[in-house]
Amino acid sequence: MNHAEVSRADERNPELASRVADEYRWGFVTDIEQETVPRELNEDIVRLISARKNEPEFMLEWRLRAYRHWLTMREPTWSSVHHPPIDYQAIHYYAAPKTRTQPKDLSEVDPELLRTYEKLGIPLQEREALAGVAVDAVFDSVSVATTFKDKLERLGIIFCSFSEAVQKHPELVRAYLGSVVPYTDNYFATLNSAVFSDGSFVYVPKGVRCPMELSTYFRINARNSGQFERTLIVADEGAYVSYLEGCTAPMRDENQLHAAVVELVALADARIKYSTVQNWYPGDREGRGGIYNFVTKRGDCRGDRAHISWTQVETGSAITWKYPSCILTGNDSVGEFYSVALTNHHQQADTGTKMIHIGRNTRSTIVSKGISAGSGSNAYRGLVKVLPSAANARNHTQCDSLLMSDHCAAHTFPYIEVKNASATVEHEATTSKIGDDQLFYLRSRGLSEEDAVNLIVNGFCKEVFRELPMEFAVEAQKLLAVSLEGAIG
Amino acid sequence: MNLETATRYRQALDYISSAVGHVDARQRALERFLASGLPTPRLEDWKYTALDALERSPWHAPEHARDALPDSGDTPGTRVAFGNGRLVHTGGQPQREHSLAAHVDDARARQVFDSLAGDAALTQINRALWQDGLWLHVPAGQVAPPVFAVHYASEADAMLHTRNLVVLEAGAQAVLVEHYRGVPDRAYWQNPVTEIVLGEGAHLDHLTLTEEGAAASHTGLAVVRQARHSRYSALSVNIGGRLVRHETRVNLDGPHAECRLDGLFIADTRRHIDQHLHVEHAAPRTTSRQTWRGIAAGRGRGIFDARVVVHAGAQQADAQQSSRNLLLSPHAEIDVKPQLEIHADDVKCGHGATVGQLDEAQVFYLRSRGIDAVTARALLLRAFAEEALGWLKNSGLAGWLEPHLAAALRLQEGERTA
Amino acid sequence: MLEIRNLHVAIGDTPILAGIDLEVKAGEVHAIMGPNGSGKSTLAQVLAGREGYTVTAGSVRYLGQDLLALEPEARARAGVFLAFQYPLEIPGVANVQLLRTALNSVRRARGEPELDAMDFLDAVKAKLALLGMDEGFLYRAVNEGFSGGEKKRNEILQMAVLEPRLAILDETDSGLDIDALKTVAHGVNALKHPQRAVILVTHYQRLLNYIVPDRVHVLAAGRIVRSGDASLALELEDKGYAWLTHDAESQPTPAESRP
Repeated sequence: MNHAEVSRADERNPELASRVADEYRWGFVTDIEQETVPRELNEDIVRLISARKNEPEFMLEWRLRAYRHWLTMREPTWSSVHHPPIDYQAIHYYAAPKTRTQPKDLSEVDPELLRTYEKLGIPLQEREALAGVAVDAVFDSVSVATTFKDKLERLGIIFCSFSEAVQKHPELVRAYLGSVVPYTDNYFATLNSAVFSDGSFVYVPKGVRCPMELSTYFRINARNSGQFERTLIVADEGAYVSYLEGCTAPMRDENQLHAAVVELVALADARIKYSTVQNWYPGDREGRGGIYNFVTKRGDCRGDRAHISWTQVETGSAITWKYPSCILTGNDSVGEFYSVALTNHHQQADTGTKMIHIGRNTRSTIVSKGISAGSGSNAYRGLVKVLPSAANARNHTQCDSLLMSDHCAAHTFPYIEVKNASATVEHEATTSKIGDDQLFYLRSRGLSEEDAVNLIVNGFCKEVFRELPMEFAVEAQKLLAVSLEGAIG
Repeated sequence: MNLETATRYRQALDYISSAVGHVDARQRALERFLASGLPTPRLEDWKYTALDALERSPWHAPEHARDALPDSGDTPGTRVAFGNGRLVHTGGQPQREHSLAAHVDDARARQVFDSLAGDAALTQINRALWQDGLWLHVPAGQVAPPVFAVHYASEADAMLHTRNLVVLEAGAQAVLVEHYRGVPDRAYWQNPVTEIVLGEGAHLDHLTLTEEGAAASHTGLAVVRQARHSRYSALSVNIGGRLVRHETRVNLDGPHAECRLDGLFIADTRRHIDQHLHVEHAAPRTTSRQTWRGIAAGRGRGIFDARVVVHAGAQQADAQQSSRNLLLSPHAEIDVKPQLEIHADDVKCGHGATVGQLDEAQVFYLRSRGIDAVTARALLLRAFAEEALGWLKNSGLAGWLEPHLAAALRLQEGERTA
Repeated sequence: MLEIRNLHVAIGDTPILAGIDLEVKAGEVHAIMGPNGSGKSTLAQVLAGREGYTVTAGSVRYLGQDLLALEPEARARAGVFLAFQYPLEIPGVANVQLLRTALNSVRRARGEPELDAMDFLDAVKAKLALLGMDEGFLYRAVNEGFSGGEKKRNEILQMAVLEPRLAILDETDSGLDIDALKTVAHGVNALKHPQRAVILVTHYQRLLNYIVPDRVHVLAAGRIVRSGDASLALELEDKGYAWLTHDAESQPTPAESRP
């Protein structure tokens, strides 16, 4: 199928064409009074953010060290993504809904904000909330509400905004912050370390199995603002937690920067399952606007038999640059990465993972599914590294690309480094397009072309979707269908 | 690059300039090289290979060509020998018809010489300091007898910037064997640049045996341009040297052009072998195949970095890559980077890469038939290596390669682990 | 020839064989039968010296030597041959190469001169003819791309070439059509000799129509629960295993896990 055919399809079907134009249903703006810091970046801004959050001295010190280090760094250029230079001085590094005090419960939250989350399908009223999912809602730079906190507290589980954790559990923050992603890690993580405003914090104590999915919903609203949140999840020995993350932003014709950091720590026998459905505004079909999503996510299997799995469905953002990774320190620890990344129109994704095998008998699995449509560009970039200590390490990697237009791009850049002679590493990659005969077969059974495409795409992604919690899997399928509307003629 | 090192390179050019042509162009290339210096691991393509040892060594231009070469085995066809970078007499007859230095100003050579080599630092220094190398020109429709080019090095601290140029006109066919070798204990640096131009429907079978001396460094570049319906079958066997980095770049410029880039490396002792392949599918219906087998033992390190790029519009490109590697000892290392970069949709592209050990179940099966463990492993290692020899087996060159391969597979004592 | 006394074998912490006693004399054919998971294949593998099994008690003597102390290749050279249930594929190693290397290893161990290429080929061709196999078979990689039947015939060919004293056939009959089964039986019968013994490990009686055993043993839950003559096999064909294995299985059951 070529570009001309797409245009013809649009002419034949004006309704479809209009659906494509406003396919981003989450693009509205919340009209709310905001307080922001000036659009600039210097030590004073860093101090201002820290002061606004009433942080202890160690936090300010850490931020300043990060900021000073950032000044010595240069923006990375090794990935396959391209964008005009980012003016780091033209961003509001802090934006928050104006409230005098931190709301104690939902009755104190601005009703306009509650309506926003309602509209996004994330009700924050607990009686209406999805059963079994506790939500931390992050609006621009701050957490506005966290549900089911009390219930979780009874089990000793801490689930709150990062700001609250800094106030109430400074010893935990101090012990784990930067222990997986140090502030020197990379350009965007270092910037985040200096200016991050809020995010979620989770601590699950020894032997506790968190009874509900924990979830953070990120929303960028303010114009010219960046979002720099930081999430820290610690699963103590034998603990289990499943964590979900969702994100949306208004449609704006400028690009906005999202540079988050997620750190996971799994101690012995602990298991963390981290799922993301990323649907930041991707820009319009000409490639105007959209979020630059430059995220650092890393988990450390710090104890023996620890297990961390990352599952991600990436359909949004103008540019996605993220590599959720696992450091397999503990013996017999397990790391997993399951990813679907879809790029349509002019979206670019450069995503993948790193699996660093340090402990004995460590195992990792990588399943990456890239779908490129329109002029989208999709790259898998991954590293599997087996250190001399990692006797009997095992890795299996499967990278598949599905190509849906003759001007899209799909790249595979795996790095395999093995320094232990008892390790076994296997990597396979395939590239395919949706076959005309497959489409014909399904259509001859009565499916519309779009349904046929969705069916094939869902089949292609099945191995990843089945790793998602149920509600999320359904949501992810719908999202994929919407993102692909009009992608094939 | 510090002044002392820069001076050495300038002296090398001064030393050879009375014997070579185009000194102005050489001067310019030298200055470009000195400005950029040797590549460093900060460059993505040099991530796994540091040239510190090259940087520190007191290189000079070779002072003498060597006339008496060791026997290179039975070579059916034309034998052309180069000693320390210059043509030497064999059997009383120098093969001047295959000397690039003697032909570089011929009309046909001038059209293509240096048109593919690019401007990487190591190419610039080759451009500045090359003295001779192979010239193979096969006119349209002709079938050339096999050519065996031996590149022999015997001078300590000499740098040999060999330059080869191979041109096959439309419908021509040739078989080329290149054999790089040298005196075991001399630290020399072989830096060959090879350009290969294949006309419409031309066929070239090209075996490169890199069997440099144990103290040698070898940094090679081969660039191939293929017209429509041409076929290039290459096999690289890397079994020598202390530090080897070789790069092959193939441009499939015409529809139905086909290349097969196979190879085998054995990184035992402290050998470092870094093998790069880069294939550009620039036209529709082009095909590439890569089958590589790597063995790392002792304190050896093997690197396989292969990139296939399918250009927009190069529909029905078909690219398959297979890289299997064995790690045989606790201090060996294998790094693999199989990459695909695809800008079209109607393509068949895939790769598979593995790093592992010999299959213990197979070892047991052979032992249960009375074969001792050492022999069983040797049999399996041999079978593994042979998987890379695909096209060679039917080419008549297998017999020539055999003793070299057999010797290399007898890894240094104690390097095979139980 | 072979004396197994109170043999206990485990994989990791899981016991598989729980006290096997078996004596096989030269010239005899023994059949070891039993349901899946009874430990039949484990017994065969342990006799051939496969790693991963721990002998926790008991002994195996073969021609007066401690068989368990020998490396796998030493057992083969001493005349023990295992026809694998699942023969391995070895790409790149030709059948002829395996056969010649193996035969000369065995001959060296016996103090016999090695065969040169011509004598070797003559010897192998005779065996091929015996088994009705094509010469092209020799030049294919070991078992690579072979059908199930071809793999089993290849095992019998190796056996015929190596001429072992004690041949152990592990489910060699499984997956064979009747013609292939006859070929295999013919190969085994041709090997019969007063100085040789054969152990047939099988789930079904039908192979025993073609190779008549002197003794039949029923293995269940890691023990021999019944021994008899050839008529026992026919009885099993009629009644199945349940009537014999009931007692054994009511005891704590060591599971067999297939490697």
